[in-house]
Amino acid sequence: MADLQDDLRPTAAAGEFDDLSEPYPDEAVTAADRADPAEPYEPVSDPDDAPMTRAHAILAAHPVADGYNGLPWALKRLSYYDLEEGESTVGTDVPRLRRGHVGALFWSLHLPEGLDGDRAVGATLEQLDLAKTVARTCAEGLRPACTAGQVADARNCGRVAVLLGPAGAPAVGDSLGILRQLHLLGLRVLTLTGVSWASDAGLTRFGEEVVREMNRIGVIADLSGASAPTVRRVLSLSRAPVLFSRSAARALRPHPVNLPDDLLAELGAAKGLCLVPLTAEQTGPTVRDVADHLDHIRGVAGAQCVGLSGKYDSGSAHPHELGDASGYPRLIAELLRRGWDEADVALLTWGNVQRVLRGADFTARAAQQRREPSRATISELDG
Amino acid sequence: MTSVAAVRELLGEFPVVDGHNDLPWALREQVRYDLDARDVAADQSAHLHTDIPRLRAGGVGAQYWSVYVRTDLPDPVAATLEQIDCVRQLIGRHPEDLRPALTAADMEAARREGRIASLMGAEGGHSIANSLGTLRGLYGLGVRYLTLTHNDNVDWADSATDEPRAGGLTAFGREVVREMNRLGMLVDLSHVAATTMRDALDTSSAPVIFSHSSARAVCDHPRNIPDDVLERLPANGGMAMVTFVPKFVLQAAVDWTAAADDNMRAHGFHHLDTTADAMKVHRAFEELHPRPVATVSTVADHLDHMREAAGIDHLGIGGDYDGTAFTPDGLDDVSGYPNLIAELLDRGWSKADLAKLTWKNAVRVLDAAEEVARGLQATRSPSNATIESLDG
Repeated sequence: MADLQDDLRPTAAAGEFDDLSEPYPDEAVTAADRADPAEPYEPVSDPDDAPMTRAHAILAAHPVADGYNGLPWALKRLSYYDLEEGESTVGTDVPRLRRGHVGALFWSLHLPEGLDGDRAVGATLEQLDLAKTVARTCAEGLRPACTAGQVADARNCGRVAVLLGPAGAPAVGDSLGILRQLHLLGLRVLTLTGVSWASDAGLTRFGEEVVREMNRIGVIADLSGASAPTVRRVLSLSRAPVLFSRSAARALRPHPVNLPDDLLAELGAAKGLCLVPLTAEQTGPTVRDVADHLDHIRGVAGAQCVGLSGKYDSGSAHPHELGDASGYPRLIAELLRRGWDEADVALLTWGNVQRVLRGADFTARAAQQRREPSRATISELDG
Repeated sequence: MTSVAAVRELLGEFPVVDGHNDLPWALREQVRYDLDARDVAADQSAHLHTDIPRLRAGGVGAQYWSVYVRTDLPDPVAATLEQIDCVRQLIGRHPEDLRPALTAADMEAARREGRIASLMGAEGGHSIANSLGTLRGLYGLGVRYLTLTHNDNVDWADSATDEPRAGGLTAFGREVVREMNRLGMLVDLSHVAATTMRDALDTSSAPVIFSHSSARAVCDHPRNIPDDVLERLPANGGMAMVTFVPKFVLQAAVDWTAAADDNMRAHGFHHLDTTADAMKVHRAFEELHPRPVATVSTVADHLDHMREAAGIDHLGIGGDYDGTAFTPDGLDDVSGYPNLIAELLDRGWSKADLAKLTWKNAVRVLDAAEEVARGLQATRSPSNATIESLDG
């Protein structure tokens, strides 16, 4: 875990996002933040048990890191909610997260279409604030986290780690200074779509500088929905692993956010991560459909490059038996029936996301020793 | 005459807390935050009122850096975040001299370490875009006061220098004050209308500040504080930080400035523009109309009066350096504070009085706001109120 600089202690209560980020850069690089070591996998389930029994055993050791969840926004319309007791009007609450063996959640901060400029920046501040408020009301179940180490700590305390992001690129208001402030407020993932500097034509010079600054501070690039030129440029430019927060295989289902095989192969070569959404629209209406996508992406990109994003409480219809956050064991049982070995399942549910988070932390720590905060502006670079 | 050594000794123990400095805005306007082009570790007196050597010479121990943005910008929230980024970079580049500070305890730690505690204040409710979530975001980024308005009204509060509209604070405006109390963000009443001052004092359960305002009884300008408000500070526990801006503290300068502003607007500039071209127009005007000059004594007159009205426990200093084109003689830049202290010593202020003025009151006020916040957070959740729900 990152050492907080001793001379700055925010007054906010312990366990809030503000406590976890480092308001002023810390030069130290700790041994715990080395790049991922290839550890041998130790099985935790009995191969003779039924698939569902094995799924629970594996998930207990390697819970799901769910890459996209819209809970805070969904709660906004409720005047009262109790996530610890259970909240039937939404798809995510603590009892179901526990039944589903979810160990970490990324909370999406995507805004309604069409917000840009100051309204996007302000609305993102409000989203970050809302997420903190929701996390605070559920301190027994959820724990804010920013780094891989903090995610592991939350899990060791029996809490579901909550990470903030992805946010849409309009949130940063075309400004690297704003990007840095959103990061200080807890933002960890930014989706590179919907702005002039990351468009169908790819990244502009300013867009490239945004990616470099994201690397420097530890904000992970999300490329779901980005154009192929943007994807290719970011894959080659980014020193930290990138992810697709909600993309399935286009070879199986022609959805615009799904990935064609050539990009999946390039993602695999770059050791990025494709998080497959559990939505009927993108993956199909059954557990087997989802498993087909996971099989396909594992085959094309590799077992180290595939993960899961439930997309619960984000306005999507979900496959049968995967209607809320408690359904993950059914999906894992299906994969075991198909012959996935435990090690690949453990990577799918937990290990790959941890690797990407560690990679982002490591890249940032290394970069901060070399690079000052960038003061490039969009007008200067993109004219 | 008071010896320089006596003043140095005083400020060595209880340095100046300054309530308002616009260096970030000056860096934005002059060099678009190119901190190499304006290296504040070196002498910048050709361009700025503020640099580290002069802060040191001035005996400054804590500074509220203003993250002000102009009210007519299309993107006030975004611009405010960039200002905050600028302050963080300044602190990051000069760790030997500037210490990040969020609390009264941080201020005391900075004093012990001999570094300048660096706090942030936002100047104008436009920086929160009518949103309590955005207000909390600014607090999360380290902002420790919000001036409720700048020179223009906001939807929920009247400014001193705009046409009355709300008649003080609206219902949402009062909710902003309560939420600031809950967070531990100081309510700053510089720039606001007297009606807003009174409404805020009625509403706030924590001490308020005036980050840079002087006394209206000494110089009748709307940016200054009326006596009835100064007299409420003892009960509230807050403080008024005297400002040096000649066009607020000296009547002849008030009149001259009105004429100069008219001249700026006639030449197509915003009257607060400090870019090179605008300053050229300003200088031409000044050649024809000699500028009345405020002095250290002018500012001391305000402090003498404010002390009568509010009491020694409720005074401070807020120079507004780099936020004003002109400064008084003897208080030309941030190295000038010792001249003011010397003047006050000559007028019979005791060392104990001066320690309160420079340091102790400001630390006490922030500490008290934190204490109030701790109490409120035990019983109150973040406010979900919107301006639509409260003001209709």
